[in-house]
Order: sequence, then C-alpha cells, then structure tokens
Amino acid sequence: MNFLTIFARNLKQGPQTEAFPLGPAFTPDRLRGRIEFKAESCEGCRICERVCPANAIRFAKTPDGMTFDCWHNTCVFCGNCEFYCPTDAIHQTNDWDLSHVNADKFDMVEHGLIPNQTCVDCGATALNTAPMVKNAKPPLSAEEYTELRARCPKCRAKYLKNRKVPA
Amino acid sequence: MSTHDVPETFSIPVGPLHVALEEPMYFKIDVKGETVSHIDINAGHAHRGIEYLTTKRTMYQNVVLTERICSLCSNSHPQTFAMAAEKIAGIEVPERGIYLRTVADEMKRVTSHLFNVALLVHLVGYETYFMHMMQVREIGQDMLESIFGNRQDIGAMCIGGVRYDLDDKSIAYIKGALDKIEAETKDIIKTFKTNGSILRRTKGVGVLTHADAITCGVVGPVARASGIDYDVRREAPYAAYDRLPLVVHSLTDGDVWSRAMVRLEEILTSIDLLRVCLRDLPGGPVNINDRPDIPPGQAVTRSEAPRGEVIYYLRTNDTPQPERVKWRVPTFMNWDSLRFMLQDAKVADVAMIVNSIDPCLSCTER
Ligand code: SF4
Ligand code: SF4
Repeated sequence: MNFLTIFARNLKQGPQTEAFPLGPAFTPDRLRGRIEFKAESCEGCRICERVCPANAIRFAKTPDGMTFDCWHNTCVFCGNCEFYCPTDAIHQTNDWDLSHVNADKFDMVEHGLIPNQTCVDCGATALNTAPMVKNAKPPLSAEEYTELRARCPKCRAKYLKNRKVPA
Repeated sequence: MSTHDVPETFSIPVGPLHVALEEPMYFKIDVKGETVSHIDINAGHAHRGIEYLTTKRTMYQNVVLTERICSLCSNSHPQTFAMAAEKIAGIEVPERGIYLRTVADEMKRVTSHLFNVALLVHLVGYETYFMHMMQVREIGQDMLESIFGNRQDIGAMCIGGVRYDLDDKSIAYIKGALDKIEAETKDIIKTFKTNGSILRRTKGVGVLTHADAITCGVVGPVARASGIDYDVRREAPYAAYDRLPLVVHSLTDGDVWSRAMVRLEEILTSIDLLRVCLRDLPGGPVNINDRPDIPPGQAVTRSEAPRGEVIYYLRTNDTPQPERVKWRVPTFMNWDSLRFMLQDAKVADVAMIVNSIDPCLSCTER
C-alpha cells in the first residue's frame, strides 16, 4: 500500500487513539482486571492465598468467621487465584479502572466473610464454607447440598459416608 | 583554539539514560571525527534480584514471576520454566495444551518483532512510518488482550499446560486479525526493500560478519541475519514445533537491514504457523488440571524467544520453592557483538545499531 492510500484510509478512519476518559476504552470480555470474591461459593481451601505470587490475598480467623481480603494495590492481575480456585469463588472481572486518590489507597481491597455457623448435628461452631463435593458420585441434589452445608466438616464427612448411593 | 590543538579523538558517553537508547546500558565511545574508534560497554544498571526472588517463591508462584522478567518475551520465560518443572516431575502436557502453547508463543513473537522493527524506523527518523507500524502492532496487541486478558503479561502458561482455551469465536477472531497483520507486514517488507531513507540508513551499517557472529556466539535473529542458520524451534523442537512447517529465515549480510528483514520474514512465518495450529488444534484438555508437587531434581530446557535462544536451569529440592533457577537470555549472548557492529560506525548510527540486536536489559540484568 503506498502512502497516499494509507493517508486516505487514516483520514477516513479518524484518530486511532481512544477517546478515554471522554469516551469508552477498548475493554475485551476476557480482560483480567479487578478481583471479585463470592464468599458463598468459597470452600475455604485457601489455595488462592498459596498460589498468589504477590501475596495479595489474606485469610484471617475472626470471631465472626474467616475474612478474605485481596489488596488491589498489591495484586498483579495474574489470574493464578482464579485459575487454581476449585470453585468460581474468586474471579477477575474486566474492570481495569483502579485509579483512586491517595487517601483511598487502603480502601482498595476486596473484602469478604465466610461466616460461622452452628452445626445442625453436633452443635459445634464451624465455618459456613461451600462443601467440597466436586467429585461426589452421584452429584448431590440441591436439597442434599443444603443439608450438607449446614454441618461442620466432621459431620459433613459422616453425612457423605452415610449417603445412600444407588448401586 | 587553533586547529592543531584539537585532540584527535573524543570520548562521548552514550547511556545509561539516553534519549535515543531504549535500554539502560552505558557505552563509552571514542570517536575520531564522526567515526567510532573504540567502545567500552558497561552493564549492571538495572539489577532487580529476580533470580534470588525465585528461590523465595513456590514453583506455582514462579510461573507468574518469570513472566515478569521481560515484557516482550513474557511468554518464553514461563514456558521454558514450566518445561523444566515438567521435565523434573515427568509431567506430560496434553496435546491441545501443546498446540495452545505454540499459539501463545507465536502471537508474542509477531508483536515483539513488529515492535523492534518499528523502533528501528523511529531511530531512522521516519516518524510517520513508525506510527503506522505501531498501529499495525496494535492489531496484535488487541488480539493478545482479547484472547489472554492482558497486552503484555499474557498469563498463558502453567505447569502442565496452558491456562486459556480457544473456542470457535476466538479462533475466527484471531484468523481475522492475522489476515490484517499479514497484509500490512507484506507492505512493510516492500517498503523496507524500496524506501530510500530506510535503505540508506540501514544497508551495510553495523555489520556483523559470519565469522564474528560465530566468535560471539550470537543467537536469534542477530545470528540468522549473519548467516547462522539456527533456530531452537527446529534444532530442539518443543511444544508443537516438530509438527509444524517451520521455515527458518537467514540472510548473509549481517547488517541492520538484514536483522530487520529476518524479523519481518519471521512475522509472516509465525502467522503461517498460527494458521496451521488453529487448523490442526486437537480436542481434549488444555492442561493436566492438577497442581502436583515437583520432586527434587534438576533440568535444563531451552526455547526460541523472539530475541533468540533462552535457556533455563532449574534445581528443585523437597520444599515447594526451587533451590536455584538460572536463565541465560539472548541479549547476554548478543550484546558483546555490539563491539564488532559499532566499530567504525558513525556516531549517528549508534542507537540504531544497538536497537538492531533487540536488546532487553530487564531480562539480562534481571
Ligand atoms: S476463593 Fe477459591 S481457592 Fe480461595 S479459598 Fe475459596 S475456594 Fe479456595
Ligand atoms: S490475580 Fe494474581 S496477584 Fe492478584 S490476587 Fe489473584 S493470584 Fe494474587
């Protein structure tokens, strides 16, 4: 293509730069941006905390349960946490706009809480995590899942063992 | 001062921070008139301590850390690291993962080469064309962002395979983008062969003869432009390269123009390889879907990064952290050859010649 053709094409297309912040910026669906945490799907396995290369994720035991914190200013948006998470509890949204004033820098945190609950069987206090049942055969029904979830880890194991598995 | 008081040679510093130099490297250049008579290269301005850091991170964290060694070869580092870990642990990457690794590798090569050649055009002083080439590269960058979610650190690799998958929609999108880049690259090649400004500034400049190239042990496009027909993808195939119709381009002149030309031709080859990969993409899982412990052992692996051969040495023990990770990057082999290329060059060409080895100090001095 000679220069006149490129020139004509560029004239027709207009500027190639994005109009941001006056207009929208190119943001593909798969863009790996801000972390989102869904406490209700979390199994509490803490794999994400272990594989995070930036140590941006911290779990902590509190009187109310286990808290999750992801520091956006430490996160390098690598996606390791989402990739190794056995559920969909941690997810990278395509929101990339993390600009903020300096005063807000300690608020750039995704926070979540896996609350404590009382086991319906033994009455012990345990975390209300999502049960690890990915490999359960046959898959649990919605009802079984709710029943299982209401128990502590020990009683969950018992529940699964005593589950009637059709031959 | 009368003319006979002027000394015969002057010393001028170029770098480590220099307007025309892309990397923090220091050259002490003795010039006689406008001609370089002697050069001293001094490196070590950008030490980042990453080699040490790898021994403080687990194997799975290191895949991300090694990706951040270099932004333009950001796929080759984690890939070679993962290959070493897989070798130690005897992990077999599923067939689809192997092809997707190649796809990621070649996409990065296309954008990396376009970037380097665009910079060359910028240093030649042809700003309009530089803008045009960067715009062409932008098609590739948008492709990376749309497929992998990031323009540079694409995060495609994991130990045991890849982290991403392609569906029909994304394959169609990649094919469309490749068609555009291919047409533009063909035009760029035509311009490089005919444009007077580019030819005058780059032909016969910064010559590295075949013999000097062998002496310096250069790798990658620098070696291939000096007639060394060597490409790791062919000599020691990894990923899916043993099944692909790989063409290795080499030229004999060893000047700045030849190095740019080798890169431009390689872009077209990469596009061909990508098309074959997308056509032959087997089904099945893309990774082993597991996070096994890597047993104690050691391994050496190598791959062809856009800048040339990158070698990884990995030694593991029975902790989750590696005991030692060491890499030899292409720029380490290539920068010595600058002594030969810059000898008797014109001062005005120094930055251009330095750029022609596609230097990357962030990985050389990590
Ligand atoms: S977010 Fe995922 S990886 Fe992290 S603890 Fe919860 S289930 Fe495990
Ligand atoms: S994206 Fe990476 S750095 Fe950020 S929280 Fe997840 S694992 Fe950590």
